[in-house]
Amino acid sequence: MKNNYSIAIVGNKETILGFKALGLKTFNANTTEETVKILFELKKQEIVVDEKTGETKPEYAIIFVTEDLAMGISKDDYKKLSQQALPAIVPVPGSKGATNYGIRRIGQIVEQAVGSDIFKE
Amino acid sequence: MARLNVNPTRMELLNLKTRTKSAKRGHKLLKDKQDGLMKTFMEIVKEAKSLRKEVEEKLSKAFKNFMQASSMMTPEVLESALLYPSAKVELEVKTKNVMSVYIPYFNLKQEGDILNYGYLQTSGELDISLSAFQELFPSLIKLAEIEKQAERLAAELETTRRRVNALEHKLIPDLEDTLKFITMKLDEAERATKVGTMRVKAMIEAAEAAEAAEAAAAV
Repeated sequence: MKNNYSIAIVGNKETILGFKALGLKTFNANTTEETVKILFELKKQEIVVDEKTGETKPEYAIIFVTEDLAMGISKDDYKKLSQQALPAIVPVPGSKGATNYGIRRIGQIVEQAVGSDIFKE
Repeated sequence: MARLNVNPTRMELLNLKTRTKSAKRGHKLLKDKQDGLMKTFMEIVKEAKSLRKEVEEKLSKAFKNFMQASSMMTPEVLESALLYPSAKVELEVKTKNVMSVYIPYFNLKQEGDILNYGYLQTSGELDISLSAFQELFPSLIKLAEIEKQAERLAAELETTRRRVNALEHKLIPDLEDTLKFITMKLDEAERATKVGTMRVKAMIEAAEAAEAAEAAAAV
């Protein structure tokens, strides 16, 4: 099928088990280095859409990463991973609880766009 | 402000005038684009912020439930129960063009039953926590969608802002300064030739007058 993509989650064992039941592709990672490696590999995976033109699309549209792992990803790596429209890399709070990383990330996005974080409380 | 390094000729003046005109036009267009992007971005970011708070809260609760449920079983049993899920998720992706930025829209398709294991060895809490996961999953997808949109828009906004600023504060003032410089130079040259001609004319007239006076004296 042409417009269908898979969803992946990268995290520690306890976190990904719950999502596995939902049918997501799960990848186990315990350190940031492992996470970055997996993310790059996932990004590389492509499906050929049209054999004649050689048109490809990424296999994964959304990759969830648990916050504790996402926090350590360097800016350069993150930029390389997220510059295209897909996949979307989204930090989610893991089994260790929320760390406010997601909210801070939105703050960073606002700062990038506007020049300063205007929604800061 | 720095002037551009050009010769002060009429030709350059004409060229620079057209360049200034297109720079101003480009500046206006980019500014409009920036405004348009900003409008969409603000809406999306506000939504993203509230949605993220909501999802994080729900997800933490779901994890807590899941943890409790999993603590009642041995890890082996839990893992084997969830090893082969029959539920399938697929994502349909559509893109929409907002001010030349393609932003993704996700459409989730879920299939199959998540409770796909024997009930004998697993606890009832597992069922509950898994259905909590399933319930919250659509909002997680929605969150991914708007966060990605915000991210894309932010990147585009940044470059547009830089372009607008470069035009507004560097290129257009430079061009205008250079234009002014060339007009002044040309005016100066014009005055110089005028004065020169006047002096030559005066010299000729003086010579003619002296000649006439001489002839009169001779008579």
